[in-house]
Amino acid sequence: MNAPRDLNRKPTGLERIRAAFQAANRAGRAALMPYFTLGYPDAAASLEVIAAIAGAGADLIELGVPFSDPLADGPTIQRSTQAALEQGMTVRGCLELTARLRERGVSQALLLMGYANPMLAYGVELYAADAARAGADGLIIPDLPLEEAAQAQAACLANGLALVYLLSPASPPERIAAAAGATSGFLYLVSLNGVTGARSRLPEGLEGFVARARAAARTPVAVGFGISTPEQAAQVGRLADGVIVGSALIDSVSRSAQPARAAAEFVGNMLSALSPQPPGKGAGERSFVGEN
Amino acid sequence: MKVKICGITSLEDAQAAVRAGADLLGFNFYPASPRYISPQACRAIAEVLRPTGVCLVGVFVNAGVEEVRSTLAECGLHLAQLSGDEPPEVLAELGGLAFKALRPADSQALDGMLARYPARASAPAWLLDAARPGEFGGTGQSADWRLAAGLAARAPLLLAGGLKPENVAAAVRQVRPWGVDVASGVESTTGRKDFHKMVEFIQAARRADLAAEPASAPRAGKYGPYGGQFAPEVLMPALAELEEAYAAAQSDAAFQAEFERLLAEYVGRPTPLSYAARLSEALGGARIYLKREDLAHTGAHKINNALGQALLARRMGKRRIVAETGAGQHGVASATAAALLGLECVVYMGEVDIARQQPNVQRMRLLGAEVRPVQSGSRTLKDAVNEAIRDWVANVGGTYYLLGSALGPHPYPAMVRDFQSVIGREARAQILAQAGRLPDACIACVGGGSNAIGLFQAFRADPGVALVGVEAGGEGLATGRHAARFGDPRKGRPGVLHGTFTYLLQDADGQVAQTHSISAGLDYPAVGPEHAFLHDSGRAEYTSAEDGEALAAFQMLARTEGILPALESAHAVAEAVRRAPKMSRGSILLVNLSGRGDKDLDTVLGLLDRQTGGAQ
Ligand SMILES: Cc1ncc(COP(=O)(O)O)c(C=O)c1O
Repeated sequence: MNAPRDLNRKPTGLERIRAAFQAANRAGRAALMPYFTLGYPDAAASLEVIAAIAGAGADLIELGVPFSDPLADGPTIQRSTQAALEQGMTVRGCLELTARLRERGVSQALLLMGYANPMLAYGVELYAADAARAGADGLIIPDLPLEEAAQAQAACLANGLALVYLLSPASPPERIAAAAGATSGFLYLVSLNGVTGARSRLPEGLEGFVARARAAARTPVAVGFGISTPEQAAQVGRLADGVIVGSALIDSVSRSAQPARAAAEFVGNMLSALSPQPPGKGAGERSFVGEN
Repeated sequence: MKVKICGITSLEDAQAAVRAGADLLGFNFYPASPRYISPQACRAIAEVLRPTGVCLVGVFVNAGVEEVRSTLAECGLHLAQLSGDEPPEVLAELGGLAFKALRPADSQALDGMLARYPARASAPAWLLDAARPGEFGGTGQSADWRLAAGLAARAPLLLAGGLKPENVAAAVRQVRPWGVDVASGVESTTGRKDFHKMVEFIQAARRADLAAEPASAPRAGKYGPYGGQFAPEVLMPALAELEEAYAAAQSDAAFQAEFERLLAEYVGRPTPLSYAARLSEALGGARIYLKREDLAHTGAHKINNALGQALLARRMGKRRIVAETGAGQHGVASATAAALLGLECVVYMGEVDIARQQPNVQRMRLLGAEVRPVQSGSRTLKDAVNEAIRDWVANVGGTYYLLGSALGPHPYPAMVRDFQSVIGREARAQILAQAGRLPDACIACVGGGSNAIGLFQAFRADPGVALVGVEAGGEGLATGRHAARFGDPRKGRPGVLHGTFTYLLQDADGQVAQTHSISAGLDYPAVGPEHAFLHDSGRAEYTSAEDGEALAAFQMLARTEGILPALESAHAVAEAVRRAPKMSRGSILLVNLSGRGDKDLDTVLGLLDRQTGGAQ
């Protein structure tokens, strides 16, 4: 399928993701990529929270598409996706919320993070087409390893979407090379062997893992899973091009009576921790591995 | 394979189409069509349907760009199908929103059309319909399938034109389209859809598609299109390590000898094959033989697999095993194998199952295993698998995941089948020795499918032997409260759960459905991928038995044969009870009695109490 794509001037998803990493890089820091569950605690509230995350200056946003059996998620995200499903959230509802975010002027790169089955049930090609039309820039599918991803890969390609592959500290060199070669947008490094969820300490050996991945990568590398505090974010930000924070953000939003405000504050704190000290002009450019 | 049901004119038909499994619905805005629907009426239907996730398509004939755009927006439709003589500019201006219906008379005409209408970037690229000058589709005539096949090879094609339940399989085999489109072929009268015809059509299309899957270069762990490794990245290296270790163990004579020694000296194999004389007499038809897995140590077939995998875990140097359990039989078997081999053992079990299978919970604890209650989701087997996998993910280096059925990512389905195939090997030799011939049918209950695949394996190459799997019919297929993945085409559709692509009970949004069965071991929304393949290929057939039938079979076997079967196994007995009277006295049914019923006494006594209480 090599039909000419329509020539409207919107940037493709890939371009938007690339620009987000470059902008953060120019500001001398790692890009911040918060994760939030679409439809949690309900559709309207999630829209407010995500708009607030965008308003507070997050660089990219991961939008969680709820699934009944989220294998790779810990209790916090499980509870949030379960609550969203109980509120009637669907895949189509998630795409509609994504479109609403764009209508509200959210200009950040948006990545839909969801498990394989709802996408298969929707139809892989339709899902990619509708996601792109709704304004999403890429997909992250935690239970779709490279070996099973051919169809999704083609659908993403046809719609200008990134398909982001994940790596874990257990990934051997062959898998690192394969994922680095196949991923688009960025390479998602799962910091630890385990499910999502806030942790009190960063895993040992993270530095080596990021270095190995970076050596193979042709895109920016971002680290997620377990990052909870601004201090941890700052530490990870010194190693990687992007920092992904999910459970800790959801925890703080859940605890607050003013979810949008809590989200904005959380993102603000993370951003200032990532920003070069002292902040402002004069911060040197980070050395940044070239991307394709 | 996508299926578009076209010419929807009422909400009732639309909902029936969704229930039958349609992926796309078409609404015809061409006033001359007998299936015309006004945008207002369409909008009311679309509002109800949007949450179901089906793709809604508006069908236009010679409408302008603005009309198409505004109708799509006003009705809340996803795509436009242009079925008239629209100029290419209309299509170009609509961008990704529209695809063109082509009605070429011959290949030359088609080439001309393709020059004017390039493939849409996403699927479907085009729709191909029958040529009939002066009419705009929906004529009931067949398209040229040879032309269609050429087109389908280039880009995702939606094939239309005279399709119906009787010819769609042939069309799919010849054309290999991305999807098929049907209107009149599934109607009772013009404009009225027939639910049963839609189900028939959709199943025929899907089966033909799956069967036509290229047979060349099968990947390890694929059963036709089913199986695979849909696992988080963290587990991929662990699965590779497991695959390698299992292959090495298979070709290691010492490993095999150790496994066989334990099966004989510890499990007590071979388990007998018992002729059920009084049961057969009472039913007055086929002779029924029971393969007595209930007599294996720990009381079910699960021990065969648990020992095999525990030996493998030890060989791999893993000191800790995690397992999931539903009925508790696999948990007990794992705890037993772990005790025997000196391994640490953690068993995840849903809270609902803990409550209904107490004796097994106590046994696991006495065997030194830690039973971790699972509170997430439906708190049954599916959620126990989720938690066991999460544990494995977090402890992937030193932990072995001992999966209890022929499920999960490759290599589990093959490995579990191999360890359980001792059931069929013994049974085949025993029936030949005792009855002098092979059975007419082998019957087994199907939860994840390990006892069934273990029995079937030895008979697959015997063409005269029917293979029958029995799913949990729960409170009845119509109630939705069951675990019949094959029996309920409305909810049971191929999908991904727990690392494998297989038949899965799910809603239209791809969320995994809640299941129900009187027996915890069958109460699971997916089925082993090899069964999905056996089902589609027709080599095995799958039926279901309801809770009440299983309970009645339980009692009948108890009184006629002096055997209390597990409620899971009682489902297989129920199928034999159904079949035997219709068969001649010379025929033979071989039933896998996968386990014994001690664990189910509370459940059974409670239900019987209620039954007699209700009768008084
Ligand atoms: C006695 C018995 N039979 C059958 C089953 C169903 O499992 P499978 O389909 O894997 O044989 C179970 C599961 O717990 C069981 O305990």
